Amino acid sequence: MKTVLHLLILATAFMGQAAAQQPRKDMVLNGDAQCTRCHNEGDEYPVLAIAKTKHGTMADARTPTCTSCHGMSDTHVNRPADAKERPKPDRTFGKHSKTPMAERSGACLTCHQGSKRMDWQLSAHATRDVACSSCHKIHSGFDPVRDKSTQSDTCFTCHKEQRVQFNRPVHHPVLEGTMSCASCHNVHGGNPKQLVRDSVVQTCFTCHMEKRGPFVHNHPPVQEDCAICHQPHGTTIPTLLKARPPFLCQECHSHTSHPSQAGALPSGRTTSNQLLGSVARGCMNCHTNIHGSNSTQNSATSGRFRR
Amino acid sequence: MNKFAFPLSAVSLALASTAQAQEVDPAIAELTRPESAVSVGLGYWSKDRPRLGTYDGMSQEGAYGLLDVLINTRDDRTGTWFILDARRLGLDTRALRAEWLRQGNFGVFAEYSRMPRDEPYTVFTGVQGIGTTTQRVPTPSATRLGELYLGTMREAIGGGFSKILGGGYDFRFSVKSEDKTGDRLWGRGGAPEFAAEPIDSNTRQMEAILAYVGKSFQLQGGYHGSWYTNHNSMVDTANINAAGVTSNPFFLSLPLDNQAHQVFVNGGYNLSERTRATFKVAYTHATQDEQIPVGPGVAVFSGAPTHLDGQIDTTLLQAGLTSRATNNFSWLASLRYYDSNEKTPQVRVIQTAATCGTCVDNTPLRFETLAGKLEGTYRMALGLSMTGGVEHAKQERDVPFGNANAAGLDAQRYVPWRAEMDETTYRLELRRSLAETLNGRIAYSYSQRDGSEFTPAAADAPQSNLINPLHIADRDRNKVRLMLDWAVIEPLTLTFNVEYAKDDYGYSDTRPYGLRDGTASVVSVDAAYAISERWHVNAWYTHDNAQATQFGQRNASATAAEAVKEAHLEDTGDTFGVGLRGTLMARLRAGLDILYSKSVNKYPETLTLIGPGALYPVAGGVAAVGPLPDITNTMTRIKLHAAYALQKTSELRFEYAHEIWKTDDWSWMFANGTPFTYGTTTDGTQVSQTPKQTADWLAVRYIYRFQ
Repeated sequence: MKTVLHLLILATAFMGQAAAQQPRKDMVLNGDAQCTRCHNEGDEYPVLAIAKTKHGTMADARTPTCTSCHGMSDTHVNRPADAKERPKPDRTFGKHSKTPMAERSGACLTCHQGSKRMDWQLSAHATRDVACSSCHKIHSGFDPVRDKSTQSDTCFTCHKEQRVQFNRPVHHPVLEGTMSCASCHNVHGGNPKQLVRDSVVQTCFTCHMEKRGPFVHNHPPVQEDCAICHQPHGTTIPTLLKARPPFLCQECHSHTSHPSQAGALPSGRTTSNQLLGSVARGCMNCHTNIHGSNSTQNSATSGRFRR
Repeated sequence: MNKFAFPLSAVSLALASTAQAQEVDPAIAELTRPESAVSVGLGYWSKDRPRLGTYDGMSQEGAYGLLDVLINTRDDRTGTWFILDARRLGLDTRALRAEWLRQGNFGVFAEYSRMPRDEPYTVFTGVQGIGTTTQRVPTPSATRLGELYLGTMREAIGGGFSKILGGGYDFRFSVKSEDKTGDRLWGRGGAPEFAAEPIDSNTRQMEAILAYVGKSFQLQGGYHGSWYTNHNSMVDTANINAAGVTSNPFFLSLPLDNQAHQVFVNGGYNLSERTRATFKVAYTHATQDEQIPVGPGVAVFSGAPTHLDGQIDTTLLQAGLTSRATNNFSWLASLRYYDSNEKTPQVRVIQTAATCGTCVDNTPLRFETLAGKLEGTYRMALGLSMTGGVEHAKQERDVPFGNANAAGLDAQRYVPWRAEMDETTYRLELRRSLAETLNGRIAYSYSQRDGSEFTPAAADAPQSNLINPLHIADRDRNKVRLMLDWAVIEPLTLTFNVEYAKDDYGYSDTRPYGLRDGTASVVSVDAAYAISERWHVNAWYTHDNAQATQFGQRNASATAAEAVKEAHLEDTGDTFGVGLRGTLMARLRAGLDILYSKSVNKYPETLTLIGPGALYPVAGGVAAVGPLPDITNTMTRIKLHAAYALQKTSELRFEYAHEIWKTDDWSWMFANGTPFTYGTTTDGTQVSQTPKQTADWLAVRYIYRFQ
């Protein structure tokens, strides 16, 4: 038994020596051996988790190498003798990176310039020095900004006002995880407000198609811009209104009679339209089809969204 | 330290020392293979939470099944992924997506989701036929009150595939169908009486895109179609008495089926390594030509349409040029034309007399916007850069014209209109980035909006023409934004954000009403601190404030005097959050989250009487009580969780949450704070919400992770 054990130890030692003489093998990406000899998972820059992602799928011929994104980085790999510290790779993407933002994004756009990123360079994000890596985690099996339930945390890093609005009692269900910021916004796009479709109304009609009409009786703001009346991220007012009726309606409408009423609550039950402009649904207590009406009943009220 | 920290040198040695390198070492696999997980558990809410549970499918007290499944596998040899992502399967918000992808070649996916919205108000009503297109509002003698909870549910299925065709080409196709059902708060229209809109509709979308992606040139073109089908087209309402006799029939129209078809081409070309040109062209044709429903016995003008033949054509033309002219200077220029042109034939819809008195035509709308933008950024030393830009938008719109009065003015339009609008915005921004400890930016923009002379409205004139409508009024806007990201010391970072905007709206002696001015500000600070290697905390606080001053004129009515109104609307919010994460012991992690939000809405309005009468009207013995009181909403949510690792691949997670929601929202209240009740001609439908809602959540989950 002792002899067998000695033989085993000898064999292991031999294999270890042989291994030391073998060239180091790539672990994840083509040519990564040069990088992974230092970049340990316990290192400041753990790298292997990229293999859990589509960037680490070697069967896809398009899969990049380390140098595709970080550059050849010769001085980083072979530290010059006179360098006090090891120079950084040609391109780095961390928080303290000195690589210009456009160059950082350029590394991604080499492959990802198409599709929704066609107009990236025109986008508010690109022109304000936001790089792809400002939001995306590449060396991770989980990229929070690409997950509906965690995406908003990344967006709220800069968009503080929207963080507050989504915590208002009336909001689109982003914090609940059934929608995400990307449901409405193409953050890589170049159109105003970076919306997924060409305008505010076209974006809203994606889910609220019943408002598209056209109606027999149109309410012009509905066709022009939903955001004239609604704050889509969140408000304290039912149906995401920017202001309560009658104030909201009176931002465009100056009328005689009951539409001119001041904000007030009735003291009791009433059917008087002079007293119902603020309470309940406000003006919409009667003008109930405010987005548009299809009534052809031969009555003047048909044109006022009441039928 | 990464939780999967592993001595790579040992891994590497193991890899090198085994002859069968193709067999992935388990230690390497753990670090490199996609992860899957199953989470199963049970949670319990101690009370109903109608407000805070509006959208999360857990508005009712009770137990909820908690099941999430993520199967994430990849065959390394072929690059074939199978991903099954099923979330919240025990809840009404469940979502499921299955994807099979041969990466770099072909992929197919299918998905299913539900999105509830539970109305946070409780309705006590005797209205019959809720959920149907025949609704009866009882008269007082037939009072039959019952409790009603409204809400809607969206249920969607979809799927699609993608195929890489080679040579830089790929094709993507997707479809989605969504049913929306339920009921929402509505009104009878003819009188301020309760009704609930029955919602039973379907939307379908289809998109097909063929794309080419080359090194310098990218192009994609496609089709996007969308269809809306409403299974209801009209609601028949009436009053009903105790004997079951109906009266006062009133028919309410509903949105009719519509559809839109869009074709688009979008491209980009790198003129050089530094300069890129892009364009987009899109054309959309939308129609609505359903049979217009008419209630039995309803009089219709002889010339009124039976089908609207509604059409809206939308055109988008967009071009952009961006360039990094030098290492230190970049610029962009863009031009965008958007035209929404309703081509619905204009016809007379309503005419109640032989000669046109209060006639109503349909009024097709057209508006187009041409916007140009020029912006340059110069980068200086110390990571500083300065951006300056100018943007001009010119909007032209047809003035909707119904029917002419004797003076040739539109007799049915109630709002003055502008045919042309111009808005010019100037921006200047200084920012510092690429620095290790302090990054930030300060930005200022100024925009000026004005337009052509107002085309007056004839309906309700001259009162209707005394206003500057919000979205077409002259406006000067100043905005400042400051953002600082400061790494104070190694474990502590602070982020400061300040935004302030001020709007000044144009007005004159002849057009004095509407919004006069407004401000909006946000002050926010975020902090992240690594207490130790095991414990991290982050906290944030935001104060926001928005104010608007609005003028208007109230006409004498009921007992009230004619008056000039001046309202100073104000919304103020204070919100803060704290998140603590840590490791208590090797197997036990824990976390705490606190969120507090308070909003105060103020509605002070002064009335300067300019005629005889009272300050507020009294009608039928019921007084209007103003000005409106403030509304304060507060929400506190405290969440605790602890995860105990049973094994390396499994854990038990315990959750506790405590929520408090408080409001004095008067939306559905009388002036004395009692629940709003509809008028005396009805059964007295009442709508209310619980002003204080408190609930506790307790849950346990078993989570198993595997590869």
